[in-house]
Amino acid sequence: MKTRILRLLAGCLLALTAAIHGFAAPVLIGNKNVVGEKIDSATLKSVFLGKKVAWDSAGRVSLAVLKSGPVADCFLQGAVEMNASSFNNHWRRLAMTGGGTAPKAFEKEEELRKYVAETPGAIGFVEAGSADASVVVLTPAP
Amino acid sequence: MKSKFILLSLVTSMAGFLALPVAASVTVGNHDNVQIGGFFSQGYLQSSGNNYPFEAKDGTTDFREMGVNVSTTLGTHLRLGGQLFAQTLGNYGEDKVRLDWAVADYNVRQEFGIRVGRVKYPKGLYGEALDLDVVRPFIFLPTSIYNPILRDFSSGFNGAMVYGSVNVGHAGSVDYKAFYGKMPLSPNLGVADFFNTTNLYTAEGVQHISIGHVTGGQLVWATPVNGLKFALSYSVLTDLDSTGKFAYVPAVNVSLHTNRYSYTGISSEYVFGQWTFAGEYQRNAGTFSVITPFSSSGSPGHVNNWYVSVARRLSEKFEVGAYYAEQKNGTPTAGSLPSTNYNRDWALSIKCDLSEHVTCKLEGHSVDGRYNLFNTVKTPNPNLKDSTTFFAAKTTFSF
Repeated sequence: MKTRILRLLAGCLLALTAAIHGFAAPVLIGNKNVVGEKIDSATLKSVFLGKKVAWDSAGRVSLAVLKSGPVADCFLQGAVEMNASSFNNHWRRLAMTGGGTAPKAFEKEEELRKYVAETPGAIGFVEAGSADASVVVLTPAP
Repeated sequence: MKSKFILLSLVTSMAGFLALPVAASVTVGNHDNVQIGGFFSQGYLQSSGNNYPFEAKDGTTDFREMGVNVSTTLGTHLRLGGQLFAQTLGNYGEDKVRLDWAVADYNVRQEFGIRVGRVKYPKGLYGEALDLDVVRPFIFLPTSIYNPILRDFSSGFNGAMVYGSVNVGHAGSVDYKAFYGKMPLSPNLGVADFFNTTNLYTAEGVQHISIGHVTGGQLVWATPVNGLKFALSYSVLTDLDSTGKFAYVPAVNVSLHTNRYSYTGISSEYVFGQWTFAGEYQRNAGTFSVITPFSSSGSPGHVNNWYVSVARRLSEKFEVGAYYAEQKNGTPTAGSLPSTNYNRDWALSIKCDLSEHVTCKLEGHSVDGRYNLFNTVKTPNPNLKDSTTFFAAKTTFSF
């Protein structure tokens, strides 16, 4: 119960942050073949930190991220408790030392959404209003 | 020189190719799962008091590193990749291109994967990321644990590693790695000066250096406290041997040999907002024997190494950092000067991220003590002094 309350508070804080900075709260999106995967907050963290590289039935995880900006900071803070800069450094360490395949990084949400829509196993995030029917909006379980 | 040219060409051509809006990963032709990355850095070092960490009392620009890597995925679980690397640190390295890592990685599931090939050596918090300039404010990682001249003891091995990450509920997660392999060494590498400075060998230095194998493991606990992690590292080198002409009787060889040389370390890092705090302790231990045709004698020894560091990001562009690092010989020779048995290093750094791809750093050091300061052909210090200062500047381009 305590954890749920904390998560609820964290969600409210993220939404408040988004509102203060003038953007809709980010949402998690995925390729349509990811829709059957069980994704909770621990799984989401493992996926975005490169620890879980394969879905149960949707093939290899393909990560898509926005390079920087408030949407990236807001999402990453909620998902992996890092800002975009720390997240980039985490992946630089992995990719440059043979420990993982770096996420696809995009400047624009449209490019990211298109990539997720066309790539089986892809998962990423965009501002809430930018998700459309080409992708599925995923809601991680607490 | 030719190999340096080839790697430089690779780095620059990739850099031009990668002047694309996507930085963390790139697309090559139709193969959109091929990633290419790399870096080139050029530095300047000026030391006074002693040549340290390499020959720099007259100031030197022989201070650069470069690397280029390629990786791809095959199917759901398999990843292939490799990196070429070259460096010059004073009279070490000579820009010779070497295979830094090259792995086939099969990740069965989050809790278990296996990596084979030339694998990075997981030792301490930053052992696998020794050359990754852009992620930290420091030019030199704390030398007590990450001595740049002894990089060959720390960078990688040919073998296999199993790894995984286990979620432990409210307690966070635990990452583990266990490995076994052979470590390629050569008397031309910087690590040879660790032996050359003993005065056992003629001026030609060590002629042969080898290690039987390296075995070890690491546990990293990401605690439920956001940004706080702890790590335990243990590894052991077996049959470490260096042989060369005996300085006192050049007609015969002398060997320094140890059956086991172990590294035991505990580390912690705490990232809190714009602050990063880190501290590590490492104990190196082994019984080295001096073997000549006339005699053989051994004595156990150990060294205690530790540091504490702090870094703070001031703005989008600037980050500052400082650390205190210490090495202490736990088994000093009777009658030796105290200053020959410790090395205390204060460092202050500033990093400026000029752009996403270009980083500049400035760093000053004040070192007290002579321990692990070399007097060799490559790093001459015929009259070692008790204190050293050095200043370093470095620019890194990465993509």
